[in-house]
Amino acid sequence: MTATPEPLKPLKTWSHLADRRKRPSEYDIVSTRLHYRRRNPDVPWELDPDLPMNDWYRKYCNESPLKHPDWDLFQDPDQLVYRTYNILQDGQEAYVGGLFDQFSDRGHDEMIPNEWIETLTAFYTPARYLYHGLQMGSAYVAQMAPASTITTCLYLQSADSLRWVTHTCYRTVELSKARPDLGFGKNERAHWEDDPQWQGFRRLLEEGLVVWDWAESFVVFNLVLKPAVEEALLGTLADVARSNNDTLYSLLSQAQMRDAERHRRWASRLVEMALAVDGNREWLRGRVAAWTPKAEEAIRAYCGALKESDGGEAAIENMLAFQRGLGLRD
Amino acid sequence: MSKLASNEYYDLVRTTNWTPRYVPESELFPEMMSGARGIPAEAWESFDEPYKVTYSDYVATQREKDAGAYSVKAALERANYIDDADPGWVSTLQAHYGALAVAEYAAATAEARMARFSRAPGNRNMATFGMLDEMRHGQIQLFFPHEHTKRSRQWDWAYKAMHTNEWAAVAARHMFDDMMFTRDSVSVAIMLTFAFETGFTNMQFLGLAADAAEAGDHTFASLISSIQTDESRHAQQGGPVLKILIENGKKDEAQKMIDVIFWRAWKLFSVLTGPILDYYTPLEHRKQSFKEFMQEWIIGQFERQLNDLGLDLPWYWDEFIRALDETHHGMHMGVWYWRPTVWWNPAAGASPEEREWLESKYPGWNATFGRCWDVITENLQKGREDLTLPETLPTICNMCNLPVVGAPGDGWNVKDYQLVHEGRLYHFGSEVDRWCFQQDPERYKGHMSVVDRFLAGEIQPQNLAGALLYMGLAPGEIGSDAHNYAWAGVGKQQAAE
Repeated sequence: MTATPEPLKPLKTWSHLADRRKRPSEYDIVSTRLHYRRRNPDVPWELDPDLPMNDWYRKYCNESPLKHPDWDLFQDPDQLVYRTYNILQDGQEAYVGGLFDQFSDRGHDEMIPNEWIETLTAFYTPARYLYHGLQMGSAYVAQMAPASTITTCLYLQSADSLRWVTHTCYRTVELSKARPDLGFGKNERAHWEDDPQWQGFRRLLEEGLVVWDWAESFVVFNLVLKPAVEEALLGTLADVARSNNDTLYSLLSQAQMRDAERHRRWASRLVEMALAVDGNREWLRGRVAAWTPKAEEAIRAYCGALKESDGGEAAIENMLAFQRGLGLRD
Repeated sequence: MSKLASNEYYDLVRTTNWTPRYVPESELFPEMMSGARGIPAEAWESFDEPYKVTYSDYVATQREKDAGAYSVKAALERANYIDDADPGWVSTLQAHYGALAVAEYAAATAEARMARFSRAPGNRNMATFGMLDEMRHGQIQLFFPHEHTKRSRQWDWAYKAMHTNEWAAVAARHMFDDMMFTRDSVSVAIMLTFAFETGFTNMQFLGLAADAAEAGDHTFASLISSIQTDESRHAQQGGPVLKILIENGKKDEAQKMIDVIFWRAWKLFSVLTGPILDYYTPLEHRKQSFKEFMQEWIIGQFERQLNDLGLDLPWYWDEFIRALDETHHGMHMGVWYWRPTVWWNPAAGASPEEREWLESKYPGWNATFGRCWDVITENLQKGREDLTLPETLPTICNMCNLPVVGAPGDGWNVKDYQLVHEGRLYHFGSEVDRWCFQQDPERYKGHMSVVDRFLAGEIQPQNLAGALLYMGLAPGEIGSDAHNYAWAGVGKQQAAE
């Protein structure tokens, strides 16, 4: 190899970021264009091309009806990386841990009305199933999304759902100590599987979990189910809790809502990016229109059964306003 | 009353299975993704991870870990350690990052597979943390090498390697994709977390951290040991899954998965780690030979773990032990000889002193592998570098996608284990590689190795230059001898003395 061409000169950053004008951030360096399964769209995985898992990724990721010439241009508006996520959430957990601690010291569960605690058995603690379902759903979209920057948002979103599961379980045990007679920690599965107030959410969750196309699954979870759940459980239920002197639930819900707002920020950015491509608006509006009535029904079933609530009016309106803000509903 | 202890609510966090009503259970957990193998949900609920963690503990601990590792990096960055580091160590880092950083990020996908599809709720939560862990390992192993991109284009491969058709990258992808991205949740738990992570990487990372400290690279030492501390948390998922399979009469299936992936992991380590420990690491920093390292850190503990679970040693165990004397020497010679086809500069490690060390660790080395290095050394001394560079491609194994190697010289035993399957002739580097194929030909049969692609005319022009182009390697990236042949008594360093 004598007449070799001029050797490539070192660059200031990764070759795939080198032609950008601005200096790459930590976020750019560690998050961008990492999915190597996207290098060959015909054969995502380096094995037999006809392997069922190659089919699965071709069909549900590469050939999704939601199109973009370069999904890797997506950026998380919060620019979270693993390092900053832990800093953020360690701070948030210190806050929530402090709430648990202080309210417990003040004998919070002994001071709230008995009737309200009974309401919590039916309307709050079974939510660990629902939140866990959100955790599973986000983990699915994460493993199918077409760009690592999208996937990363979903990994963190899934972890946030586990965070909500954990808070719910913590409170379940505390409440069981205040009222050992109500079956806290034992009856949630029965409430979740059989009580009418949960069936709308359960139906939407179960049906959403078997939507395999990455983009439709994103629509179901991030644009329909999650907003519905958040408005009903972190919104409506928290309002009713406040009027029953359950300040702890209200503050906890607000803390969890910070996560939900972050999820909506990145989801909105992704929708915005998708809408720049012809044909996506119609498809997205069609999917939102198809799934949202089930979410409305779910909110009505849940809030309608909750005494002292507005029957879900505000929750439905907030969910629809979110979708309207995205340009996915008139 | 104050705060609850985590053990008071921990079990509830993993009491999350319910009976679906609106979609059939088989649709919610498709067998292709779940791999529950007919074992009912209740049996999977007995999954009990030994190492427990809660969300708040997780973010607190991990925040601290990153604070530590990133501050070591920041403190040492201006010292420019890397500019004075031994070239063999620089190559070690470049090979390591290129083969692992992007693959570790991808491993989060395998964890996500379990987080969604495992029938065991404890598994789903641990996999959610595992997902975060692997995301960390990908991100941190991109952030650390990024500071070196200004030094050489080879550092770009920390990011780029896995996105190319470079042969080592193809081999790594074939292994990783087989082990963790194209398998059901239960197989991932066994193959990735049990056979690979507890079997190999845990100890590999300990060994590499020790080597880094020995070489004076404290940034890398702290990085690697920090990553290693995460491993035991998510690597524990395979054990409980294996227990459930065995209790439910699926021992043979479990055993086969372990046997296949342990061998595949061994082959990958024989090209990635073996040469580093026995040839790239400067002689004065070598604490153990690769073989001793494998014996002390991998074989003993893996035998123990299999035994504890009531599993058997893989059927090829004797052949594996025998291969510890041989395979990585062959892989090393292959990588060095075909050095323009990798993104780092292989260190020959064949100076007279190093050869003495090799002979002491591997009696008979001089009469076998040494014979080839005799010829190479002689050619370099006669100014015939051209004869130390390849003009053809090696035969590549259709399982591990690595060269078919064996002992040369007096112990010549190189053999191609061939197989004709549905009219196509396949080549394998060992009986075990061929056996892996035969266990599940549908997984592998349509795959083309880099040599298959060359012969099929997919690589143009059909010569070494065309192959380099196909592999994404240009001058400035392609490998050369790490020490400019000083070890052979020639080259710049020698001339300067």
